[in-house]
Amino acid sequence: MAAEQPPHQMPRPMLSALRFDLLAKCSTTKARAAILHLPHGPVPLPIFMPVATQASLKGITPEQLADQNCKLCLNNTYHLGLKPGQAVLDKIGGAHKLQGWEGNILTDSGGFQMVSLLKLAKVTEEGVRFLSPHDGTPMLLTPEHSISLQNSIGSDIIMQLDDVIATTSPDDERMTEAMRRSVRWLDRCIEAHKKPESQNLFCIIQGGLNLKLRRECCGEMVKRDTPGIAIGGLSGGEEKDAYCKVVNECTGLLPERKPRYVMGVGYPEDLVVSIALGADMFDCVWPTRTARFGNAIVPSGTLNLRNAVYANDFTSIDKDCKCTTCRSQSEGGLGITRAYLHHIVAKETVGAHLLTMHNVFYQLDLMRRAREAILEDRYPDFVKEFFERLYPGGAPEWAKEALGSVGVVVP
Amino acid sequence: MLTFTLAGASQRLAPRLGTLIAKGRTPIQTPHYIGNTSRGVIPHITHDNQRKHTAIRSLYMGLEDFIEKLPPRKPPIYDIPYENDISPLKVFASHPPSTLLILSPRRFPPVETPTANTNTTLSICTSVGFRSLPISQYIDATAKLHPDIVISPCDFVPPAAKQNASVKRVEKMSDRTAVWLRDMLAMKKEVREEQGSGGNNGISVFAPILPVEGERQRYYLDQLVEDFKGEVSGLVLYDCGSLGEIPESLEELPRLMLSDPANPRELLQQISLGADMFVLPFVSLATDAGIALGFVFPPPLLGKDGNGSTRVPLGLDTWNEENATDVGSLQEGCQCYACVKHHKAYLHHLLSAKEMLAWVLIQIHNHYVMDQFFAGVRSSIANGTFEEDRQAFERYYEAEMSEKTNQGPRVRGYQFKSKGGGEPKKNPKGYNKLDDMAESLAEAPVPSPSVDAGDLEEHGLGQVSKS
Ligand SMILES: [Zn+2]
Ligand SMILES: [Zn+2]
Repeated sequence: MAAEQPPHQMPRPMLSALRFDLLAKCSTTKARAAILHLPHGPVPLPIFMPVATQASLKGITPEQLADQNCKLCLNNTYHLGLKPGQAVLDKIGGAHKLQGWEGNILTDSGGFQMVSLLKLAKVTEEGVRFLSPHDGTPMLLTPEHSISLQNSIGSDIIMQLDDVIATTSPDDERMTEAMRRSVRWLDRCIEAHKKPESQNLFCIIQGGLNLKLRRECCGEMVKRDTPGIAIGGLSGGEEKDAYCKVVNECTGLLPERKPRYVMGVGYPEDLVVSIALGADMFDCVWPTRTARFGNAIVPSGTLNLRNAVYANDFTSIDKDCKCTTCRSQSEGGLGITRAYLHHIVAKETVGAHLLTMHNVFYQLDLMRRAREAILEDRYPDFVKEFFERLYPGGAPEWAKEALGSVGVVVP
Repeated sequence: MLTFTLAGASQRLAPRLGTLIAKGRTPIQTPHYIGNTSRGVIPHITHDNQRKHTAIRSLYMGLEDFIEKLPPRKPPIYDIPYENDISPLKVFASHPPSTLLILSPRRFPPVETPTANTNTTLSICTSVGFRSLPISQYIDATAKLHPDIVISPCDFVPPAAKQNASVKRVEKMSDRTAVWLRDMLAMKKEVREEQGSGGNNGISVFAPILPVEGERQRYYLDQLVEDFKGEVSGLVLYDCGSLGEIPESLEELPRLMLSDPANPRELLQQISLGADMFVLPFVSLATDAGIALGFVFPPPLLGKDGNGSTRVPLGLDTWNEENATDVGSLQEGCQCYACVKHHKAYLHHLLSAKEMLAWVLIQIHNHYVMDQFFAGVRSSIANGTFEEDRQAFERYYEAEMSEKTNQGPRVRGYQFKSKGGGEPKKNPKGYNKLDDMAESLAEAPVPSPSVDAGDLEEHGLGQVSKS
């Protein structure tokens, strides 16, 4: 293949293996509540997707994950490609069968991890070039490879391979190239996709923090009519106000009847603001990663249970939480106290498992409560209450500004 | 109160069936095992998994796991009041009231300490290091913590030193253990008098049989019979040989084995000599090594899997590459959660990806295997075929657990087998298991150097670049 391709024809029309039922729209903000019907069952939107990187969520069983109301989780293509590998996945019959998970799975393209984890990875028109970590052999990952691997994984939502560069990259020319290349790669992904009747390919809007590029990208991607649309390149440490402007700009240009997924976003305040800006789906490793370090997410922030102040604290992590860990024994839960978590975190794996269940539940329950508020058309009040609890001294400027742009004033 | 009923007339040094009942607790049919805990939990098994996917309803805890805080700071377990007949330890560790709780000064197996016990103190190991625990504090603790069964401390001599223990040392061991038992029973009496006849479970004390030959502990055993009989609710044995040293008048007491059999063959031998309950470190050791136990009792008939010339392994090495695409269960026909919901290929994947779920699932399976094993043992004893079945087991299965081919989660501090008294202090910071595992649990590991380009290609991760 040549380094640059001439403009080409539109790919074949896309099949869709999902149904998006829009149930309600907030009358003030751009927030939406919907049901996303996927091959492995319906998913309420907005939704947070926990990340089970290597087909397992940090020591909790698929049953425990389902117990926290999870309907859709994420696997990483790059990791599953390494272990157990495509041949094994084909033989076993995909990632659902591999991990015994009856819910839905979303996979990324593998490109982001490759570029961020492998030194000397380089993007060319053909694909991502990199050196084998073992012997330095030059290797190539193309859009076709990524889709083929995701077809073997059998995930309900698959992502196109995109040309990922840091959003904060000041190089407009490179940013433009990456965005346009991502569009061309989407076409190759569509052509390569062998299971559109059971796997939903999402495009990824690129363009960094440049709103003009983002608009151009939205236009091109929307023409391809993929079942869902992701907004990419935003988990790389850009300023939050710039992030919000991009999300707001994109959602304004996207069709109403398709799910919108903002990749790699997961702090509770980011979720609440992004929902107000019209996004529906999120994923992030933070809730599960932070659990391993003894942190529990609560409405006022996080608690580090390794801190000695919790040694004699016999209350649950969050008195209102209904997760397996926090729920009292009389409610069928475990009634685990902060004191006991302090006793075992970082000493027994069970401590991490208990916190992981709580954190996953917290994120999913936050989404459930947001959704309920949207359905009852009181999302602005929900947002205000949320920020008052999290930031009693006043919300951060970026949040005030972003929420202000959709008509919500938070103190 | 604790009652222990033996089925039928029991013979000396013969397998026996019993039922251990404490008011409000799940009864235990013996022979059986007691769940072994670390800091209040069965390693890798969250409480919901324990309830839903294991039959473990009795737990063994070591006080040393809970008392790293030194005065004037108070360990949090003492801030929970004893109410409604429920041990504060169970409340602290969130185990349901129906759990039968056995408290010992030390976890099992204990880490050998660099300093010896004294007349009034035990050497222990907490998560912050070695120290001594005054016997009086242990006794106070049991009064406050109200376990269903408390183990009276033994002035234990490590197995390696046992054979050569001097007459003087054995004398000291027997004197100290007797004094400690006397103090323990005095506490028990006090607690009972305080409570009156309110119908609460009292504290049941299990007394050690010393791990030395009978003649060498004659004086101690005489005291046990003459002074303490009636007050002692059970016996703790540290050595299989001690089963032969139990005085006749104490035959009816339940026997808890802290003898650490290394494999099911040794376990069966002890059962054949009349052992009732066990704490079994080999189960978790197998789990950590990635070995899914695979034996049943009685064993399958010979001829199916071999003609007797080659013995069947006791477990499956889940690491083994053969499992990579095998969607069969860890053990054919096993009805445990791990086997019903998952397959070898997944377990193999989890292990090679160093995912914590591997150990969770294997641990669930291994405990299920032990539950089935003991159920099989009990019905075999009931049928009067135990000796036959035991011999068949020895013919059918290998004697030893499989050699482990791979590292499990890294060895924790409390798993170190210290070589004995004179050794320099081993800082038990390896206790910190999660930190140890942190590297292997990294969210996004770079491909291991053992992956070559061809592998990556095979795995669908691109192709070798020709240009
Ligand atoms: Zn919770
Ligand atoms: Zn099983």
